[in-house]
Amino acid sequence: MTAGHGEFAFGAGLHARGLHKRFGGVQAVRDISFDVPHGGVFAIIGPNGAGKSTLLNLMSGLHQPDAGRILLDGVDLVGLPAHRRAQLGLARTFQKIRLLRGLSVLDNVVAAFHLHHQLPAWQYLVHGAAFARDHARCRREAMKLLAFVGLETRPSLAATSLAYGEQRLLELARALAIAPRVLLVDEPAAGLNAAEVERLAERFRILRERGITLVLVEHNMDLVMQVADRVLVMDYGEHLFEGAPAEVQTHPAVIAAYLGGG
Amino acid sequence: MLTVALQQAINGIVFGSLYVLVALGLTLIYGVLVQINFAHADIVTIGAFAAYLFTVALGGNYIAGIGVALAVGAGLGCLVNAAIFAPLRERSELLPLIATIGVSILLQNAMLLLLGPIPYAFDSPYSNEVIRLGGGTFITWQSAIIVAVSTITVALLYAFLKLTFMGKALRAVAQDRETAGLMGINPARLVMLTFVIASALAGMAGAMLGPILVLTPFAGTSVIVKAFAIVIIGGFGNVEGTIIAGLVVGLIESATTQLVNPGLTDVVVFTLLLLMLAVRPTGLIAERREENV
Amino acid sequence: MFGRTRIDRRAGFLVAAAVIAVLPLVFQDSYWRATLIVAAINVMLAIGLDFVLGYAGQLNLGHSAFYGIGAYASTLLIMQLGLPFWIAFACGMALSGVAGMTLAVFAARLRGHYLAIASLGFAVIVHQVLLNWIGLTQGPLGIYAIKPPPAIALPGLPVVSFGNTANMLYLVAGFALLFYVLLDQLVSSPIGETLAAIREDEVSAASFGINCTAWKVFAFGVGAAIAGAAGAFYASFVGTLVPDAFIIIESFTVLAMVVVGGMGTLIGPVCGAIVLTILPELLRAFGDLRLVLYGAALTLVVLFMPGGLARAARRLRMHKVDVPAQDRQ
Repeated sequence: MTAGHGEFAFGAGLHARGLHKRFGGVQAVRDISFDVPHGGVFAIIGPNGAGKSTLLNLMSGLHQPDAGRILLDGVDLVGLPAHRRAQLGLARTFQKIRLLRGLSVLDNVVAAFHLHHQLPAWQYLVHGAAFARDHARCRREAMKLLAFVGLETRPSLAATSLAYGEQRLLELARALAIAPRVLLVDEPAAGLNAAEVERLAERFRILRERGITLVLVEHNMDLVMQVADRVLVMDYGEHLFEGAPAEVQTHPAVIAAYLGGG
Repeated sequence: MLTVALQQAINGIVFGSLYVLVALGLTLIYGVLVQINFAHADIVTIGAFAAYLFTVALGGNYIAGIGVALAVGAGLGCLVNAAIFAPLRERSELLPLIATIGVSILLQNAMLLLLGPIPYAFDSPYSNEVIRLGGGTFITWQSAIIVAVSTITVALLYAFLKLTFMGKALRAVAQDRETAGLMGINPARLVMLTFVIASALAGMAGAMLGPILVLTPFAGTSVIVKAFAIVIIGGFGNVEGTIIAGLVVGLIESATTQLVNPGLTDVVVFTLLLLMLAVRPTGLIAERREENV
Repeated sequence: MFGRTRIDRRAGFLVAAAVIAVLPLVFQDSYWRATLIVAAINVMLAIGLDFVLGYAGQLNLGHSAFYGIGAYASTLLIMQLGLPFWIAFACGMALSGVAGMTLAVFAARLRGHYLAIASLGFAVIVHQVLLNWIGLTQGPLGIYAIKPPPAIALPGLPVVSFGNTANMLYLVAGFALLFYVLLDQLVSSPIGETLAAIREDEVSAASFGINCTAWKVFAFGVGAAIAGAAGAFYASFVGTLVPDAFIIIESFTVLAMVVVGGMGTLIGPVCGAIVLTILPELLRAFGDLRLVLYGAALTLVVLFMPGGLARAARRLRMHKVDVPAQDRQ
């Protein structure tokens, strides 16, 4: 298949080996392996139904693989539920927008600070000084994240009244709230216009500079070309090709898969 | 000894058939709408009273009375869907359930005010005559009718679902509402059809239950609790599972009455339900589908 | 909830305490005092359920079970084992809380409707056990001659006896206020944010590192424990205990109080409980209409006013004071 998988030292970074997942009669993911070095940007592309989102779900813990391993900085994530993986520094966004309806823009981000509160237990029942400090700190940090995605002017707005593209950005801000080491992004450019995609690419570049590892599932080749180091192409749940973005665009098997030959 | 066991088995099947009718309605509604109609129980009760009024008060034919109950049930189902589920459809997962709890409380207590708490003596002409079966067991004509009508109804329903276009459309909407809509099927109309069928079944069940259960405004409640258990054990939306589970629960209930303590049948059935939920929440015949996030 | 200032809130609590202090003076009639005590018990039940349903988003239809467990456990501990009232009270709360947590652990993986039915099944089982375990509970015959909480005799002060309805009202209403304050503090802390995330979308919540099962268990435990306290007060006030006081319809009436008052607002269910306890008494001329009214109120509120009384009140307030649309609660 591709070179260099067997001998990779499972050190820093995100590594997958031999992932399989079956749903009822369908083999959604078959024998997928990849390596993402710490701080790298890895894109997963492929025609619809190729199993890209399933792969992301296996990584984030929404589903457990039938076989295989997923290692984050040496820790095997398989068997761990999604919330444990988040505690280990793995954040994600979703293909379908999953905002907390009924909450404001700011509160959506604040909710994601769950892991980072600094409060003695009794102050949850009787609010003291530490409570006030924590409350203020969380809101400051949340505003910074909103500023990062450009939503800082409307923190009190109901989250559901944002435009589609802005809701996607809010999801990104939310995911960053857990201070992740790895960020999984599921079709972040869906529904965005060219200017918005450009701004998104800029933000990914900044995140990468901060040392966050990015894995993105994406259809928008523009975005992929701009930010990805390496690209994995999937088709029918299987590994079709992996390489640098430029290689992928011209590979005949990839072109055939997209045009419907498979 | 064997006679007793066989007799209990027969009783179990009789009650089981009625539970199947009630549970099928619930499971069909859940299948297309992913909602539970808590007032289903009261449609059963109203069906029973409708048949009672037609038969005892007006002197009509009992079998025709079953038909009357069917129609009354269908009408009520139509009303409940139009008034509650249709308007609330997009808004929330749990609000419709809560609304139907309200409707149920309303109906039960309104019936209590109108009809009083004293049980009504609903004797169908078939309650007292008996058919002798082999091995010393017997079955009343009433029970025989119950089993016969239930079996025929379920068979017809099954054929409808598997063989006709409407039936397949119903299953399509249950699987994937959006796509079904895109294929030219009108989901709202199908949901209404489902409600009408489900509630008609409930009404029929009520008409047949009337003579064998204590007929008060709360008659439906005793059945609905088991019907919920059956729907979960069989799997929400799963027709085959519900039929099997219904008969099984009827038999278990019978066995518990005979071997343990009649007061504990609910406990046994619900413990079974809770075990089922712990082990296999999707029901007897599980389907693993991927969630689209 | 996060917008209200602390001064606002503390003032509110003081006003409530003052109102409670004055109530027995206004209502000298022991019938009305009894009604208010029942209202206070219902307030406890309603806020406990709102914590689970309105904040954590779990449709628990088995609240009557925790109410009953608290009532029977505390009463039996006093009458069979001779434990002092307040120890038995605490044990009753603890046992109810544990029952709540057990149900939650069990039902953790279940989505909305499955949980609703499982909790209903749990309530049916508990009721049937209370009814049939005659050796323990006396079954349908019930337990009689349950004494009120023991009198408090502090040196230098007159003895406070709880056979006196005024004192009982202070006690029960006081506890209701205490539980309200504690819950209010909880929901306006990060725990409230966590529960809101679970309520709105468990998948997202998990992606923030929230252990949804653990927090649901917590919510159920707290709600059930408060219901247990309500049960203990019920038993010691009414003096007799029968299993049929804890049938499933009780779960539904508390649900009605929460929904009519306004799910997820805490103050809403307080109003819902008070209104739905007092209104039927005012309409006593109509006798059996009480439950018909509950059913109608529940249905109509869900259909036309799903935010309940609380949302209606907020809308009125926003019309009167010109609050910009962005100033959300």
